[in-house]
Amino acid sequence: MRRLPVYLLLDTSGGMFGEPIQALNNALSGLISTLRTDPMALDTVWVSIITFNRIAEELIPLTEIGSFQLPEITCPQSGPRHTGRALQLLYDNATRDIIKGNENQKGDWKPLLFLFTKGAPNDKVDFVNAIPLIKSINFGAIVSCAAGYLKDEDLLKQLSENVVHLDSADTHTIKQFFKWVSDTIEQGNKSQGTGESVPLPPPPAEITLVI
Amino acid sequence: MQHNSKYIKNLFNNKGVEISSKRVDLFERFVSDNSTIGIIEKIRSLQTNIMENWQHKNRVQDIIEKQIIIPNATVNKEYKAFLDFEKLGLNDISYSAIEGLEELGLVYDNEKEIVVGVPKVSGDFKVNFKFRIKDDLDDSLLHEKKITLVINADPKSLWKNIQSDFEKTEDWKIENYWKKDDEISFEKLGEKNIVISSKRGRSHANVGSFRDDDFAYKFFDHTGWSVVCVADGAGSAKLARKGSTIACNAIIEFFTLNFTKEALEVFDNVIKEHQTNKTAETSKQISHFVYDNLSKAALFAHKKIEEFATQINVSIKDLHTTLIFTLIKKYDFGYAILSFGVGDCPIGVINKDFTEIKLMNWLDVGEFGGGTRFITMPEIFNSEKFPTRFGISLYDDFSYLVLMTDGIYDPKFIVEANLEKIECWKDFFEDLQGKNNENVNVNFEKRNIEVAENLSKWMDFWSPGNHDDRTLAIIY
Repeated sequence: MRRLPVYLLLDTSGGMFGEPIQALNNALSGLISTLRTDPMALDTVWVSIITFNRIAEELIPLTEIGSFQLPEITCPQSGPRHTGRALQLLYDNATRDIIKGNENQKGDWKPLLFLFTKGAPNDKVDFVNAIPLIKSINFGAIVSCAAGYLKDEDLLKQLSENVVHLDSADTHTIKQFFKWVSDTIEQGNKSQGTGESVPLPPPPAEITLVI
Repeated sequence: MQHNSKYIKNLFNNKGVEISSKRVDLFERFVSDNSTIGIIEKIRSLQTNIMENWQHKNRVQDIIEKQIIIPNATVNKEYKAFLDFEKLGLNDISYSAIEGLEELGLVYDNEKEIVVGVPKVSGDFKVNFKFRIKDDLDDSLLHEKKITLVINADPKSLWKNIQSDFEKTEDWKIENYWKKDDEISFEKLGEKNIVISSKRGRSHANVGSFRDDDFAYKFFDHTGWSVVCVADGAGSAKLARKGSTIACNAIIEFFTLNFTKEALEVFDNVIKEHQTNKTAETSKQISHFVYDNLSKAALFAHKKIEEFATQINVSIKDLHTTLIFTLIKKYDFGYAILSFGVGDCPIGVINKDFTEIKLMNWLDVGEFGGGTRFITMPEIFNSEKFPTRFGISLYDDFSYLVLMTDGIYDPKFIVEANLEKIECWKDFFEDLQGKNNENVNVNFEKRNIEVAENLSKWMDFWSPGNHDDRTLAIIY
């Protein structure tokens, strides 16, 4: 059976404290429920969650959606956002996890990456250094979501072709974003041309695609 | 004695009572008095009780707050979860019970500390975990905590089957390049028979979208050649269903126009000569003929799709489709089989005795699932590997010639290497002929006129994770 690996990189820095982290927890729980009732996702989707603040941590290793149990995601009241470290950890994990196909082994579907962040990385050098590593994984799609800020988007643009911007980090907007994430995940397990990317579904009104 | 003296001194000290030097003797007598000693012992014992009570409450609260995670269950799937108290650091639990499991189809065996059964309902449930720890009295009230249990629905029950033309008009069908969700065909193909079934995958049926696979075939009476093609439109391309249709039709059209009696005369002579007197020259001429004609046919299909894309003003990528086709003809000596393929759909020929399999084409598969190449990609025609996309085989006779899309190959052969193993093909045909969970038998005896219906029924087989369109063509 082919797996569709999905990596969620979630900002848990001080900037997320309060409503944003609650909204994120609600939205994630909605995402998991949606996937759990989608028969295709139940058969194929595997999810890993990496959180990052001062440190980056593999909160949930790559787990099939049927067995997935979402813990409460928490964040400190203050502290930096080391997105670069999260990318480095993601690189190590993805290299370890992803099964490549060959004559005798069925390969995974191209993995998907969703980066959700409330602000710009505080470790820009690490972030920039990690970009070529992440590109070498050959993700089917990398979607970066900047919630409620419009600064240093060039940095996110270097990482992914698809940068989306949320006007605010409130419950409704974050939920809409994750709804769109689940729509995108449903696109991930279809045949496509070698080297082509997973086409993204049209985003809802709350989400602005940054061009 | 020393101990008691210190204890009383501390007490007096806390209460601000001082013992003057004149009263030291009196104090010593007071401390060693039996009634004082008795009282101190009582106090100490009561304090110990308070401490123990607090520790007990604290421990119970720890257990209540501790997250006990039990694995998710799935409806209709046998479930067994061991609550490993030792690993959870809950060795002191002396008795446990779980309420609320029965209605879910599960029971808790508190001797073995396992939850077992076959879940009947799906959802997120909170069950009541009741327990006693070893310091509790045997008849004390049980402590309670909630444990979350997630029961996934049976994936089979979640699939919907929405007709792609549900409540749609004829005009809508034309505008949307509609095609039938399922198609079957059975016919004589020269001295052989052909049976084909093409079925929309569950992933499409679930959302009411179209079948992307397609096929076409034709027997040319005047030349004795037959052509069979199968195409698999890319799941990620908007109009893939149309791409696969155009590709198949284009191949039929090309050979209808170009495989005339006159055009084939030279080849017929060469192949006969090759059979009696094989030389480098005859081999070369045959290869040349195959390459020349089949490459033109492939390019014709590409052009037809390109024309259509231009005409309706879409990118050719929106019509991405794989394409395999084969041509067969019976000569006096036996069969000539020619082939072309781009994409991840195999063509296999099994010899008369079912002892050898020849895979006519190599598959375009990448390191990731689903990544392949399409007839709609112009670069395939310029690639140095293009000449290797063609195949020719000569047989006295063969038992089966099989074309399939990845919807069949993925679940039944799993990996590429298996396509070249005769054992795997034996298993495949045994499966077709009844060795399957559904007890469906496709009978390939020539007199079976219901073979297409049988095949269509067989194609409904269940395979987790494999819900793509399925097309299987068998010439026998």
